[in-house]
Amino acid sequence: MPDASFDILIVGSGAGGGTVARELAPLCADGVRIAILEWGARLRKDEFTGREVEMAHRLFFESGGMLTKDRAMTLAAGRAYGGSTVVYTGTSLVMPRRVAERWGVPGLEWDDIERRSAKYAAENKVHSLPPDLQNDNNRLFAEGCRALGWKVEQFPINVDGCRGAGVCNLGCPNLAKQGTHRVQLPVAEQAGVEVITNAKVERIAEGECFVTVRDPGFGEPSPWAPGEYRVRSKVVIIAGNAVQSSALLLRSGLGADLPALGRYLTLHPALILVGEHERPLSNTAGHPKSFYCDEFLESAGFLLETCMYYPFTTAKNLIGFGAEHSQLMKVFQCHQQILVLAIDPPRVDNRVTVDKRGEPVVDYRLTGGVLDTLHRSMIAAAEVFFAAGARRVHVPAGERFFIGAEERDRLEELIPRRNVRPGQISVSSAHLMGGCRMGADPGTSVTDVWGQVHGYPWLFVADSSLFPRCSEVNPYLTVMALADRVAERIRDRREELLSS
Amino acid sequence: MDTLSQERASFLATVAERIVPEVGTLDLNGRTRFFQIIDEALRARSPAVRRQFGSLLGVIRWLPLLRWGTSFERLAPERQHRVLSWLMKCPSRTLRQGFWGLRTMVFMGYYGQPETWESIGYVPRVDGNEALYA
Repeated sequence: MPDASFDILIVGSGAGGGTVARELAPLCADGVRIAILEWGARLRKDEFTGREVEMAHRLFFESGGMLTKDRAMTLAAGRAYGGSTVVYTGTSLVMPRRVAERWGVPGLEWDDIERRSAKYAAENKVHSLPPDLQNDNNRLFAEGCRALGWKVEQFPINVDGCRGAGVCNLGCPNLAKQGTHRVQLPVAEQAGVEVITNAKVERIAEGECFVTVRDPGFGEPSPWAPGEYRVRSKVVIIAGNAVQSSALLLRSGLGADLPALGRYLTLHPALILVGEHERPLSNTAGHPKSFYCDEFLESAGFLLETCMYYPFTTAKNLIGFGAEHSQLMKVFQCHQQILVLAIDPPRVDNRVTVDKRGEPVVDYRLTGGVLDTLHRSMIAAAEVFFAAGARRVHVPAGERFFIGAEERDRLEELIPRRNVRPGQISVSSAHLMGGCRMGADPGTSVTDVWGQVHGYPWLFVADSSLFPRCSEVNPYLTVMALADRVAERIRDRREELLSS
Repeated sequence: MDTLSQERASFLATVAERIVPEVGTLDLNGRTRFFQIIDEALRARSPAVRRQFGSLLGVIRWLPLLRWGTSFERLAPERQHRVLSWLMKCPSRTLRQGFWGLRTMVFMGYYGQPETWESIGYVPRVDGNEALYA
């Protein structure tokens, strides 16, 4: 088995791994050897085709169709040079102060998160799109919310040179999105950080990692030939996403020392709803996500957002099949789409485990409270559609496939709570959080407030698995802020950690 | 298809027409692409999942025997729809989950083909912002 040796190894290159790499990169000038091991591929520009099935295969774990153990939810997580920052819409929100207070992690202040988030917002060119670049799908959402008297806000997004391809979740074909693949990783590489793509970390131990490199059949070739490697390193930073980071630590045998490992997973469960308008809309052209409504975040625990998905994703998120389903798909140009996101509580039993092959199993139950929230959110989204002028809507828990505008006063009756049942509506998640939560107590947390794993001074976590609870808003800037803290702590402890 | 026998693949096409009626109007190339997409998706799954998928098709084929005394493909389209509707909400979690998986595969096979997009009005373009001003 070939050997390689570094001082610092970073597992994953997304919002967490990319940020840590960029912040530690100046150490390379002093001779510190740093490498990123990224499971996914580094795609060539011409490989960002915007074709749904093809890009899902190239950019997501299990093509974006990873299932929870009970198969009630689909999980999407990016796997590529740049991780999930390649496949999100670029929405960049600072986590609200009240959320940091709910997190209640001793030593983690909101002011610190806010300051670091602002640094990355500036670095990633975060700004609001001008009104002339907002398409009908977005405008109608804002108009609908305002007509109902609900507060609507514009998403700050991290694009530069956006041409409005509208396929952010499939990787931007214009390379406009300022994910870590465009901002932090190139800086880190320029400074001397090595990036080994197509490299799956099988397990870790003090001083070494065991890695398998495979050729996926697309992307730039990995710098390392396919095969198994033993990689030595003094410091290891795990940033593979909430599910994969927990799974790696579990299959490396850390579960016995860390009772909270893999637990308190939150998924920000999401539903896609469709409103059908009389006329064709500009919905697929332009940036897909301009507005959100947090009117009900505090009172009912959900967020409404604009979204516009692609034919296959839309089809599978509608309920039913056959003629009615086909009828709605045929008028794709008339679709207005809304994404609802429910805040889910951190439950000790919602967790990542590993099967006998060491692969992650996501054991997650949608609680009655979250199902109540999803129910309320569906009714609210339907109200927005009708307020925006939709002729009819499709709601996953609707008594019928379509609810017509003339029935808008009967939404409570036509969308009954009893229809909101796991396994009978399409619930998905792209915000995987927790599993290696921060905290002071090793009994209920996995790392300290600086991301160091309790009892393992050489091991750190720097991704959304650190979140002790749901972030309640899109999590990427918060991940970067926490990763920045991890990098700072490693720099501060450099002498101790890197002495041989 | 490598992952399903010829007979199972042919039965899959029958079921698929009930899920997405337009599958029945695909030309030879479209049909080939439909099966290719599903084949690739199944190949990426574990052997156990592939076996379950094949078994589910067997269940759908013979389930109507209990009620109507004949196989799925011999039923009128309306009855075929009823069988699938029952499966979608069926009390057995295994069967229900199996049907949701099958439905996903069929949607992927049809709507995952860029060649079908124009017919539903999905016309993505890299310079979408230009379209906003058109």
